[in-house]
Amino acid sequence: MNITRKALHRRSFLRGMGAAVGLPFLDAMVPAMALARAARPPLRMAFAYVPNGIIMDQWNPAHEGRLGELPRILKTMEPHRDDILMLGNLTHNTGRALLDGAGDHGRCSGSYLTGIQVKKTTVDIRAGVSCDQIVARHVADQTRFPSLEVGMEDARQAGDCDSGYSCAYTNNLAWKSETQPLPPILNPRALFERLFGNGVILSPETQARQADYRRSILDFVGEDTRKLEATLGPTDRRKLDEYLSSIREVERQIERAEKTNAQIDPHMEKPYGVPADFAEHFTLMSDMITIAFQADLTRVVTFMMTREGTSRPYRELGISDGHHPCTHHQNKPELIEKVTQINTYHATQMAGWVAKLKSIREGDRRLLDNMMLVYGAGLSDGNRHLHEDLPTMVIGNARGTIKTGRRIVYRRETPMCNLHLAMMERMGVHMEHFGDATGQLTFADLA
Amino acid sequence: MRRGGNWVFAVYVAGVLAASMSTLPASPQQAAEGPGAATFENAVSPVLANTCSLCHNRQLASGGFDAAAFLDPASLASKREGWELILQKLRAGEMPPQGIPRSQAQIDALVQYVQGEFAKTDLNTKLDPGRVTVHRLNRNEYANTIRDLLGVEFRAQKDFPTDDSGEGFDNIGDILTISPVLMEKYLAAAERIASRAVAADPLPKPFSVEYAAKDKRIRRVDSSSVEASHRIDFDGEYVVRFALPGERPADAKPVMLGVWMDGKLVGSKMVETKPSGLVFFDPYSEEEMRLALPEGDHVFRASFIDDDFVKGLAPRDLYNRKHNKFIDGMVFVGPFKPKAAPASRARILICDPNSGPACVEKIVGALARRAYRRPVSKAEVASLVRFVAIAKAHGQSAEQGIQLALQAMLVSPNFLFRIEHDANPTDPTAVHRISDVELASRLSYFLWSSMPDDALLDSAEAGRLHAPAALDSQVKRMLADPRASALAGNFAAQWLETRNLDVVKPDPQKFPEWDPELRDAMRTETSLFFDYILRENRPMADFLDSRYTFLNERLARHYGIEGVKGPEFRKIDLTTGERGGVLGQAGVLTVSSYATRTSVVIRGKYILQEILGTPPAPPPPDVPPLDEAAVGTSLSLRQQMEKHRANAVCASCHSKMDPLGFGLENYDAVGKWRTLDGKFPVDSSGTLPNGKTFATPAEMRAALVSLVPQFARSLVEKLMIYALGRGVAPYDRRAIDQITGRLADQGYPFQTAIYEIVRSAPFQMRRGELIQTQVPANTEEASK
Repeated sequence: MNITRKALHRRSFLRGMGAAVGLPFLDAMVPAMALARAARPPLRMAFAYVPNGIIMDQWNPAHEGRLGELPRILKTMEPHRDDILMLGNLTHNTGRALLDGAGDHGRCSGSYLTGIQVKKTTVDIRAGVSCDQIVARHVADQTRFPSLEVGMEDARQAGDCDSGYSCAYTNNLAWKSETQPLPPILNPRALFERLFGNGVILSPETQARQADYRRSILDFVGEDTRKLEATLGPTDRRKLDEYLSSIREVERQIERAEKTNAQIDPHMEKPYGVPADFAEHFTLMSDMITIAFQADLTRVVTFMMTREGTSRPYRELGISDGHHPCTHHQNKPELIEKVTQINTYHATQMAGWVAKLKSIREGDRRLLDNMMLVYGAGLSDGNRHLHEDLPTMVIGNARGTIKTGRRIVYRRETPMCNLHLAMMERMGVHMEHFGDATGQLTFADLA
Repeated sequence: MRRGGNWVFAVYVAGVLAASMSTLPASPQQAAEGPGAATFENAVSPVLANTCSLCHNRQLASGGFDAAAFLDPASLASKREGWELILQKLRAGEMPPQGIPRSQAQIDALVQYVQGEFAKTDLNTKLDPGRVTVHRLNRNEYANTIRDLLGVEFRAQKDFPTDDSGEGFDNIGDILTISPVLMEKYLAAAERIASRAVAADPLPKPFSVEYAAKDKRIRRVDSSSVEASHRIDFDGEYVVRFALPGERPADAKPVMLGVWMDGKLVGSKMVETKPSGLVFFDPYSEEEMRLALPEGDHVFRASFIDDDFVKGLAPRDLYNRKHNKFIDGMVFVGPFKPKAAPASRARILICDPNSGPACVEKIVGALARRAYRRPVSKAEVASLVRFVAIAKAHGQSAEQGIQLALQAMLVSPNFLFRIEHDANPTDPTAVHRISDVELASRLSYFLWSSMPDDALLDSAEAGRLHAPAALDSQVKRMLADPRASALAGNFAAQWLETRNLDVVKPDPQKFPEWDPELRDAMRTETSLFFDYILRENRPMADFLDSRYTFLNERLARHYGIEGVKGPEFRKIDLTTGERGGVLGQAGVLTVSSYATRTSVVIRGKYILQEILGTPPAPPPPDVPPLDEAAVGTSLSLRQQMEKHRANAVCASCHSKMDPLGFGLENYDAVGKWRTLDGKFPVDSSGTLPNGKTFATPAEMRAALVSLVPQFARSLVEKLMIYALGRGVAPYDRRAIDQITGRLADQGYPFQTAIYEIVRSAPFQMRRGELIQTQVPANTEEASK
């Protein structure tokens, strides 16, 4: 793979990345990313998360079985009806208080992919390895990035995040170890540079030298760390282990990058900063995730649209109250309306992304057919902080292993972790236990 | 590896240390001893049995507390935490509540007796200084350390992922983790920083980037100014060209063209605006400036300064080339080699590295000592010098080799982490003083959020730093240094939550005055105010009420204060009771509001949590929110809140929060003074948790000042968390009691808190870790 001016017309890229345009950017990148395709395209797993619950009666279709007309929030998803599977009654029991008191937002976000009731603390954080990271570890040697963590909202800078829960629980979905959350990349520019480099064209010799230097440096600091660790206590050692494991991952990336040798036009305009407009920001981030999947730079993505408990107003929709205060609507119609609009807006962004994923061919299928993208939230009713019947939608049929176009309603209190188990299995990781799972979720046809 | 500093003692016995480091607080029980001395039976039991148990009995157990469990003297030892809570409530005057008959003398006697007993117990308990987890530099610390180590400005805040925070601060060792993304950033940053500092790499060929109005790539700030965000990829000189279409009448005067980078004027020149005399179908001219620009993302603004001409121009003619000359675009061409090498280069290359291995070792050794903030061993220097050989093997120069060695240092755990050592890392009873070089780093990261400077490190390496007089004089020197403003930027901005000014988004419809300038002014006011109290060693009470603040024209206008002109901040004496203390500052009032309106709940909680140190319990789910539409129309906010408090569950906390929040109702959601909310007159009367009432913000501030002891304790705890980079634990109470005792003796001068924290055992000592066995979650390997 060699991305050069030939493949990538500079002007189109300039416009694509500069202003409010998403698709030309994607189009421009596609021919450039001529893939050394494997005989069979890989399967990818992604989670797109929205906070503060959903207005459920505008989300859940009225019937089980084949999907007909979709409720209001999902109206824009209708063109993709055949590609989605709506799951009912999945529960995250570990998101509930269970004697830990207030803090449902911090807890549900912390447990969403870990299946662990996270430790209520603002200091010594403790969750568990999240399912995406279990898979990431498994596929790490096959892609440049074991996983990508993407977000759109910066962390709260001061004060507490939720009732005695550290901000680490609401800022992050992915946990590499029980004490090591993986912060999402929020800035399109930063994501761009991570995926494609900073755009400085290097000669093959310079590139080889840089890789060699980086390797020597990583060897050196690895050695330093091991020497240090011998003299430290267990918690300190754990911190340095995190450091070491990060080093190993960067080493792997250098190896991979050398094999693929991708370069981009140094004069090319890169995204600058974070767009003020939500839709524009979403488009940039989802486009780059799409390219990362397409180019097989990664197979595992977590995408946190906004943070649990966020008070972001949606001026795009004329809503100047914060999202979170609105969700405590106390059944007042005008507040429910506002939340519904926000929910619909998010789903509309997703629908646009899904359309792109469908438009991209991969062998004799569409990119989306080689994916399972879960769109959902860690709370159902945000007003009452309910952790049952979580809004959950699987998009993409995971190479024909999931029958989409339907709604399945499981027994009440079916653990969400059962879905995680089923997804991990499809990604090639067989686990007997995960969180409070009672077994893999089956997507049996009820019709 | 060898540890720096003199390491004379390994393990100290608590009693010896306590005596050698500082004296314990004068034990209050001494006064009560002698004939008729207080006993549990005569000082404690009567109050508990006769007053407390009216509500806190087995049947009611108000607040989940039954006084009967505390009637046994043994409970002083077995229920220490419960007793501490009782003391806190009694000292704050929150209990007994209004309407319950009480004898203050009896209560004082109880408090004094119990405190005395605790002091006695603590004297006999082994001192526990706690343990600080190895601490990764956070973004601010990283940027400051790079600045002080190399003189390179690197904006880690823009490049690195947000640091998670806990206990309200983002410098908590346990929470600061390293992800692969961050590791990548560290590697890339080290490459760029080392390259910038040594400046041994050739610059790439210049290229140009254009920002023009026709492509919508510049923003028109006003009719005389344009702005563009541009990334400078390399330190160097750049030719910046300005496109100036149009012409003004023949009698038009020249105008000054200024260019600002991130709000700082970096260049200016006079520009002719009258017709050039050349025949142009479409009048157009260009001006250029050659500027030395630093690497990074910047906002550039070009503007005609004091351009009076456009004021007389009809709006439709502003961009008409026949009637006006205006700025229409910017082009950046570069990088070009700068005339002078960066100062960092001379500072690093203290001898000529081509002169041989002795000089290379000298350079690398000196750099490593400062980068690692401790003496480095010969072996360490040797392993770094190897990089010079590696670079040479790739055909690069010795200077580039030093650059590579520096790159390695900047990703080494010795640079990225603050590491402290124990002789027995897993023995929690192995209490010991940290080494002098470790102490130097604790001190510099506390006061400067940065590395120790030479004076501090020299003193530590000579083994002098731990001597009380030497330590005090270092603190004094460091507080006087400009770098101490890091306390305002990192401690105060998190304590007072003004960092959230970056994320709050007041409703532009309701608050059209909100803009970046006002936001920055708010941040600066609180920051300068804190800095002043710190540097002038003002009493802590100034935070609660002061007759001065810091304003520029923009903020003064927001406050309705006349006579402040220009963008510079200055100290202003307040002449009315509208403002004073942090609770009258717009930044604080804005971050404690919703986007559309004020919130007595958030503000009340803010006061309880940040000022009084008694945060309320978190709310249950299913909280009835305010009816936004009704506020200011059908019911006043106060009436609504009172309705809300009719619910007993809500009342338990809201009866504390809301009456405090009401005291700030004279300030709207962006901190502007008001006397009407909607159509209702503002009623800012309220009550403090101790029952004291007030009718205006000024009276509330005065009432808060009477709670200085409680405020001081809360502030000392927060400073302690920040200073140590860990949460405070029950075993820290001894130190905190001692510090607040000293503060009280001196009238609460702010610097005393800093000095006393530095003198305290938790700051100067550590112990091995208490190992808790715990089954890790989800770490079981996948079984195939």
